[in-house]
Amino acid sequence: MVKKTPRNITPALSSVINAFVPVLAAFGIGAVVIALAGKNPLETYWILFRQSLFSFQGLMKTLHYASPLLLTGFAIAVTFKAGVFNMGVEGQLLVGGFAAAICGTAFSSLPAPILIVLCLTAGVVCGMAAAILPALLRAFYNVNELVVTLLLNYAVFIFLEYLTSGPFRDAGAAHVSTHMVPDGAIFSRFGSSRITLFSILVAAVFGVMYILFNRSKLGYEIEAIGKNPNFAEAAGMNVRRKIIVIMTISGALSGFAGAGWLLSEKYVYTLTFSDGVGLGWDGMLIALLGVNNPVGILVSAMFYATLKVGVQYVSVFTEVPSEIVGLIQAMIVLFLSLKVIRSRQSPLYKKLDRLLCRRGSRNPS
Amino acid sequence: MEFIGCVDVTMKYGDVAANRNVNLSVAQNEIRAIVGENGAGKTTLMNVLYGLLSPTEGHVKVGGRRVDFTSPADAISAGLGMVHQHFKLVPTLKVFENVLLGAEMLRSVSVMGRKLTLPFLDLNSARERVSRLIRHFGFNLDANALVRDISVGAKQKVEILKMLYRDVSLLIFDEPTAVLTPQEIDEFFDSLRHLKDQGKTIVLITHKLKEVMDISDSVTVMKQGRVIRNLDTRDTDEKEIAQLMVGRDVLFSVQSDHRVESSDEVVYEVKNLSTENDAGRNVVDDVSLVIRKGEILGVAGVEGNGQSELVSVVTGLMNAASGSIFLNGRDVTNLWPKDLRDRRMGIIPEERYVHGLCADMTLSRNCIAGYHNRSAFCRRGLLKQQAVRMWKERLVEKYDIRVSGGEVDVSSLSGGNAQKTIIARELESDPDILIAAQPTRGVDIGAVEFIHSAILDLHKKRKAVLLVSSDLSEILNLSDRIVVMYKGGIIGEVSAADTTVEKLGLLMAGLRNG
Repeated sequence: MVKKTPRNITPALSSVINAFVPVLAAFGIGAVVIALAGKNPLETYWILFRQSLFSFQGLMKTLHYASPLLLTGFAIAVTFKAGVFNMGVEGQLLVGGFAAAICGTAFSSLPAPILIVLCLTAGVVCGMAAAILPALLRAFYNVNELVVTLLLNYAVFIFLEYLTSGPFRDAGAAHVSTHMVPDGAIFSRFGSSRITLFSILVAAVFGVMYILFNRSKLGYEIEAIGKNPNFAEAAGMNVRRKIIVIMTISGALSGFAGAGWLLSEKYVYTLTFSDGVGLGWDGMLIALLGVNNPVGILVSAMFYATLKVGVQYVSVFTEVPSEIVGLIQAMIVLFLSLKVIRSRQSPLYKKLDRLLCRRGSRNPS
Repeated sequence: MEFIGCVDVTMKYGDVAANRNVNLSVAQNEIRAIVGENGAGKTTLMNVLYGLLSPTEGHVKVGGRRVDFTSPADAISAGLGMVHQHFKLVPTLKVFENVLLGAEMLRSVSVMGRKLTLPFLDLNSARERVSRLIRHFGFNLDANALVRDISVGAKQKVEILKMLYRDVSLLIFDEPTAVLTPQEIDEFFDSLRHLKDQGKTIVLITHKLKEVMDISDSVTVMKQGRVIRNLDTRDTDEKEIAQLMVGRDVLFSVQSDHRVESSDEVVYEVKNLSTENDAGRNVVDDVSLVIRKGEILGVAGVEGNGQSELVSVVTGLMNAASGSIFLNGRDVTNLWPKDLRDRRMGIIPEERYVHGLCADMTLSRNCIAGYHNRSAFCRRGLLKQQAVRMWKERLVEKYDIRVSGGEVDVSSLSGGNAQKTIIARELESDPDILIAAQPTRGVDIGAVEFIHSAILDLHKKRKAVLLVSSDLSEILNLSDRIVVMYKGGIIGEVSAADTTVEKLGLLMAGLRNG
């Protein structure tokens, strides 16, 4: 007889279940709506995933779309993990994008590689600057950073709207927008694919963040502060200083996302720069779906980009309106807040545990 | 006649069974002690009896009939009451008001021969009834006193009254004596005997075997979730019970010839230290201490007399308002914990899961907490995974920390093993001074023995130790000198060799010339 090793619902497994159930439920409800509209949900979903994942062009496009999302996902996760709430990722991303656009036109005479580095740096620095104010307020005056960062988004957006429609407006453009960045500042596409050097840079950032989360001293401190601030303090961590560092990293990632997105996709800053609900807000969902885990964030950023890319094909190949993806995203948000496995005490946990696990007796003492 | 019992109760948390096929039968009008190491499943069992948990298998019986409690309210209406270790009282309310919280009496009027209940409190009758209860059970308590003004022992009586007011016939006590002075314990035992005379049944969860011998009629010994043995107290002794609990012989006192020649060299000195809490009260008031090389200084006192705040200040969690602290001759007043550790201080915090450990982090990560900046564990901002793991394995082996797997979270460790993790971490860094606050609170006998000998080993290496504990026998067994704290200040100092529990008890009660 094969001896079965005792298994258990580990925290990792329960977070995977917690992430998958909302996604499946959202797709289920989406299917009902598609069916009610008289279309075939399975065919719709098949087109969605076939085009975005199983064709070369589609996959490249998905990777391209996933790039800023991965960054904003990490920007959120790094703060959430420490129990700090940077809700200003969206605003920091806009600042980063705008800074890159202005920098690109202002220094258009510089050679291409230098100009790109300069634009990205400008984006990162401005993103950091936008995050550091709430961080200082939180660290030194205990002002709730959640409220400050959240509200600052609107201030940032309005301010950038003023700059874009006033001093920095491209008078020749039909819409309110900045001047287009010169060719030298643009991440050129690889061959016929949609992908650019930006995605490669993001992959490198992923590597760095993976090490930061799992291997580094800072990651250790982030975990400790997030899980038990009293303990972190007693273990000699300067929680106040760490909060500033963490917020700064978050702002840098957001700014980088904005600058990269501008240089690889938008080329100008417009009032709809961060399309849809906003790349920063998407990042929050991605961080939640990926439970602040680097690999989880990678998977959910890819999943999110898949939806974004796939839906473009859905509206081409079928008569299902592209709003269906908005519906699915909204449903995921709704279901995410309802954690399936809340704790080891929940009835569902016990049921799943019984279902999944062969009990071996383990001696706890 | 059996009053309460349980049949084949098994309680599982995931894979882990906290109770396994437990059968228990408590007779009417007896005092039953339930003893066992931490993690033996005593508290789980009581929570099952009291309706806080519903068992995975088996059931509870009251008066021979099966019951299925879904909440403590069910248990109370079946005549079961529990007095928790941590009191749940409102300090700004009077004694009788606390007693009737949740079971308020309402005013009623008679209208045409019918009784009509009005939505107003009937405080007079409630006070009357509580006073009657106090007299009936012979408690020395004023129903009109504010709870914040009464002593810890009196607060416990209020907790008991809460249950008696609800007319329960069985009282469950969870570690009732942990917060009491020796005199209060005697008084508490008198109350228990009185309750028994009045026909109540009592179940007592405890660690202290001496109390078991003093008060109980019978003993149930639990180990690893099972009931090992039921004994009549008069047919047994402390030694036998301890053997059953731990499964081997236990040294009751590690005291024998541990005294080390202490020199005059002062390692640690606290001068006129004072501090205020957030409410502006002077919680540490002009405290001065000196600890010499090779000396263990015990700090005794009833909880809440400034010991916790003293520990917070000397370990860098709270700032001193005035006064200074010197370690090895250098001023270390108001330094951060990290700097204190760098100056060779080991810290065993009072609150194990608040300041000592992060329950949701892995054991390895907990084993380096406070020392994670050291070059042994960290290079250029990256943790040395291999070194950290080997460090953990070394601590686990050397300090006999029992873990169920490789990389586990600290939350899966029993209290004793969690505490051993802190002890291991702080002692392995070879400190010159160890601040040990309540090092064995809520820890099982086996672990207590281990922790005590670890502290004494440090002592043998001629290091200094500041031991803060509310366990008097611990203080007496380990310390060379003892200071007693009362209302933030030091009320007296005695040498451990020529003092008694009674003398200390009087100092703890604030009587200087007792």
